Amino acid sequence: MFEVRKTLTYYGFLLLLRQIREFLETLGSVGVNFYKVLKYIILFRIKPKELITQSKRFAYDSLPISLSIVGMTSAIIAMQLAPELARQGGADYTGTLSALVMVRELAVVMSGFAIISMVGSSFASEIASMAVTEQIAAMEVLRVDPIEYLIVPRVVAGFLFMPVVFIISTTFGLICAGYVSHWTAELSLLNYITSLWHGLYIRDIFIAMLKSAVFGGTIALISSSCGYSAKGGAKEVGLATTKAVVWSFLAIAVWDFIFASIFYL
Amino acid sequence: MTLEVKNLVKIFNRRKVLNNISFKVENGQTLGVVGFSGSGKSTLLKIISGILDPDGGEVIYPENSDIAMAFQYSALFDFLNVYDNIAFPLVERKDLRGKYSKEQITQIVKEKLKMVGLDGIEEKYPSELSGGMQKRVGFARAIVTNPQIILYDEPTAGLDPVTSTLIEDYIVQLKKDLNASCVVVTHQLSTIKRAVDNVIMLYQGNAVFEGSVDELLMGKNEYARQFVSAAIDGPMNIASK
Repeated sequence: MFEVRKTLTYYGFLLLLRQIREFLETLGSVGVNFYKVLKYIILFRIKPKELITQSKRFAYDSLPISLSIVGMTSAIIAMQLAPELARQGGADYTGTLSALVMVRELAVVMSGFAIISMVGSSFASEIASMAVTEQIAAMEVLRVDPIEYLIVPRVVAGFLFMPVVFIISTTFGLICAGYVSHWTAELSLLNYITSLWHGLYIRDIFIAMLKSAVFGGTIALISSSCGYSAKGGAKEVGLATTKAVVWSFLAIAVWDFIFASIFYL
Repeated sequence: MTLEVKNLVKIFNRRKVLNNISFKVENGQTLGVVGFSGSGKSTLLKIISGILDPDGGEVIYPENSDIAMAFQYSALFDFLNVYDNIAFPLVERKDLRGKYSKEQITQIVKEKLKMVGLDGIEEKYPSELSGGMQKRVGFARAIVTNPQIILYDEPTAGLDPVTSTLIEDYIVQLKKDLNASCVVVTHQLSTIKRAVDNVIMLYQGNAVFEGSVDELLMGKNEYARQFVSAAIDGPMNIASK
């Protein structure tokens, strides 16, 4: 019995060590790629054609899923909030609370999740399959830096266009919340809009836009880096994609905490 | 343009994959690198091409010389068509960016495609081509900058005998046209016979044979004899790989 426990402990310890090593390796590769990407951005070595292609993927291709997720979230919040506030005599606050919750927190996080599932995962799998089929090695032999060609345009597109996705999906979400409040708590749209204005602060909007830009750049950087460091075969493509999604979720949570601590503590 | 490899060492997971490998490829010559799978052949090419760094030794070639590599599975960029694949280094390489006009690039791409016997496929994507055509497009992309050193990783692997012969002919022709130093990693005896001048054989990271093709085919080196006769018994223990 003691031997079994000893063996299980031993293997558990080995597994933990492996997890820690993988964590540090991923952190290291993301860090190194971030440094290289930053260098190219400072030197303004951004490929316009690639930037346009990746921006389209970020801003246009991910929009339907972002709108759906943020719209549904806003509607659900309004559905729960509006009747309760109406019962307590505070229906006029529905718009204010929706705006605060959506602009400060939920819209940017939800659209971040949508971008991870739609764009981040495709970045990771695309670059990972390029890595395992030696296309990245071919790029290196042809003396074209894969970081400059593949990762820089994606990170810049994420940084520039995630705020656009955020603005559009938040607007859509607040419209959805208005209609749901009207149907569930018989709150007039005019009252909702008036209440909404009280909850919208320019400072909050700017912070949310900055946060979404950081989220977009981070998602693109992590997803591309996870794909870029893939080695082996088809299994590795799947693992790289999973890693990209998990790490991006984690990074968003950490960034969100940092932003909340800096601006709202 | 001479390519020289001196005392090359590469270690993976504490195992020596390449152990003091040295050779020289003169201008207009082709060296064949043969050996079992896992003997370090592809690692050798990756070090020469600069994809991997060696743990010891050095690769010597004249400064500013171009090295090209034709990959085993072509490694064509699947998001670009044939034209863009071949034009890629001319358009994207930092030192060549802006050097050629669009018309010149089109002319070069057409010329290189013609050199590998292909024409009128510029708009096709890699997924629309056969394995042999992909290999030849890979060759065209590799030679688009007129390299002085060309590396081929298993150029005939997975191809039918007729297409293999065609590919071997292009290897010989390209070497003549560009007067390049070439290194061909291969398992195929036909490729060695038709496209190679000298041969080095690797086994467990060591060079166990070095000589001409005739010496490989008819000499007394027991490693070479086992390889040529495809014998299971011999100094190279297949089970140990």
